[in-house]
Amino acid sequence: MRISLRRLAPYFFVGPAVLSVAVFLYGPLIASAVLSVLDWNLLSSDVSFVGTRNYAAMFSSVDFRLSAWNTLLYCAILIPAQIVLPLLLAVMIHAVRRSPLQGFYRGSLFLPTIVAYSVAGVAWSWMLNPVNGLFNELFGYFGFPKSRWHTDPDLALLCVCLVTFWKTFGLNMLLWLAALANIPPELREASQLDGAGPGRHFFTISLPLMTPTAFFISVTTLFHVLDDIVGVIDVLTHGGPAGRSSSLLYFLWQQGLQFFQFGQASAVAVIIIVVVLVATWLQFRLGENKVHYG
Amino acid sequence: MFEISRRQFMAGVAVSAGAGVMKSAPARSADAAVEVSSPWGADKPFQKVVDAFNAKKLGVTVTNRFDGDYESAIAKAVASTAAGRPPAMMITGWKFGYFARRTLGVRDLRDIDPARAGAILANFRPSVLPLVTIDGAVIGLPWAMSTPITFINSSLWREAGLDPALPENPDTQWLYENARKLDAALKGKHPTYRSALALSNNEWTSQSFIQNAGGYIIDPDGKLALDSPEAVIGMTEYCAPAHEGLWIPVSGKEQDASFESGALAICTTSSTRAATFPFGHAKAVTAKFPGLAGHPRRLNSGGNFLAVYARNKEQAEASLAFLEFCASKEGQSIWAAVGYLNTSLHDVPLINDFMKPAAAQLADGLTAETIWPGKRGLEGQEVWRKWVSRMLLKEVTVPDGLKGAHQELDVLISG
Repeated sequence: MRISLRRLAPYFFVGPAVLSVAVFLYGPLIASAVLSVLDWNLLSSDVSFVGTRNYAAMFSSVDFRLSAWNTLLYCAILIPAQIVLPLLLAVMIHAVRRSPLQGFYRGSLFLPTIVAYSVAGVAWSWMLNPVNGLFNELFGYFGFPKSRWHTDPDLALLCVCLVTFWKTFGLNMLLWLAALANIPPELREASQLDGAGPGRHFFTISLPLMTPTAFFISVTTLFHVLDDIVGVIDVLTHGGPAGRSSSLLYFLWQQGLQFFQFGQASAVAVIIIVVVLVATWLQFRLGENKVHYG
Repeated sequence: MFEISRRQFMAGVAVSAGAGVMKSAPARSADAAVEVSSPWGADKPFQKVVDAFNAKKLGVTVTNRFDGDYESAIAKAVASTAAGRPPAMMITGWKFGYFARRTLGVRDLRDIDPARAGAILANFRPSVLPLVTIDGAVIGLPWAMSTPITFINSSLWREAGLDPALPENPDTQWLYENARKLDAALKGKHPTYRSALALSNNEWTSQSFIQNAGGYIIDPDGKLALDSPEAVIGMTEYCAPAHEGLWIPVSGKEQDASFESGALAICTTSSTRAATFPFGHAKAVTAKFPGLAGHPRRLNSGGNFLAVYARNKEQAEASLAFLEFCASKEGQSIWAAVGYLNTSLHDVPLINDFMKPAAAQLADGLTAETIWPGKRGLEGQEVWRKWVSRMLLKEVTVPDGLKGAHQELDVLISG
């Protein structure tokens, strides 16, 4: 029997993509779900089924609950900030679109996004160093009391938010800028002729036309926030002091790759997957019908 | 149109699979290949040890593979061991002693070749061998060893008018009193001075304080001992300068940066800094780690061991050949440049006089850093650090902090 290469071609083209999704996405998902009900260190032949014990252990862990609460605070602070402030910056940059300075503003504001986490973390830890960091030196110069910044249990989470925002707002700003640039100029001219001021134009014309971008940003910012804070926590606070700046993903990393408790780490992974799925479903449910694609 | 038959297709798949299998099979050549997973890159003295060994052409070729810090290296070792290909050798942090033995299956050197292992170990001080003996097995060479000592910024000390003659055995009374004088003399008056003291906010120096007070974190019988009155005395003394405002606890990197820039006057940290601190802006001088007045000194150490994980007989024996070189005077002399303590019996000169307090502490006798036992022992260090932070930040009183740590750690290490 002879096989035609033409008949095989679709499988060759689609195969690698399907295979990689199966191996790197669904495979780990299933593996995590299976591991979450086992007590196994991946090395020993001693594997035991523990049912929901890993989940129960996590929910009763003070550190897990603190990480979950911190994650909620991170989301409450960073998601609105990552959506609204880049939009404000994008509107300001768009307003000077005919000026040669526009490129400079855009480039300099986007620059932190491409800086490596390790470099950003070191730079910020120098600036925030409570002993002789730049911030305390400036505070001292102007007569303000010095702060312990990221080593203060009450400020650590806010410091991580500050650095995460600085490091990541550039991408959303570029997306908003692209959306603003895509609004037909005739609409602006028409609204001006009709006597609409900049505020009215923005809220009644620009913003509704940018709802596809707004929806995209609102969905992806949730993932980015969960992901980006881990990099900053790792280089700036290591989750401290005393777990005050930890997050669920950082907690997961610690359980899995620092303590090698794969069962409990997988239980946390499954919990995160479920929470993100529900949040994304809600976003689609509540937000998609408000998007104007036309 | 080009067409292939099923037979041609299957033959192609078989050839590809065969090539893959052959590639994954161990190399058979005259030279045995040994890869060492290490926390040091090609620019560090360990590479010089490897290069010097390879230059001898003993039929074993060693490769140094930089795998990041101890945690990263262990994570990679878990993955490769799970895949059936453990690292032949790995430089393993002492704190991972139980994990290396009980989970990763590190080899007892005496199981590979008792006579050669005995000859290798005979090169080391008998006092350090218990540090690499876990569950009765000798799990490697006591390769890198450091101990916390005191570094003092000599110009800040002088400018504060303090006595430049440092005591041979300083205690906390002396140290804290001088820190107070320093702070009173320089705070707000000196361009770089910002803080008097840092004892290092970690599990290592806090363990020293507890031991100097006569207590233990884990006693010699393997039982948690944080609920002892000695632990309370040690931790109270450890937290005192932070509670008094003499010490602003920060991370190790921030502490080093502050000390090197002349903002921090005194810091107690690893003796390996004796290779850099005295020659930087701080012009540091060194003294022993502070003891507690009226108590015998009982300092601890930290570092790593050079261990064999190879299951394959040929590779394990080749690893012993490398260990023989590492244990020799030549190997130890090259290695000494990094600033670790000389754990061998060879007469290897100190890299500089600033290492003398560390060498004296080694001569006095050092205990190991805490090696947390139990299935969830690796969490122990993090939990202890968390409670140390809480006590330093005054979130809990010292007795309550020790009680909380004891309860949480007891669950972890008894599992």
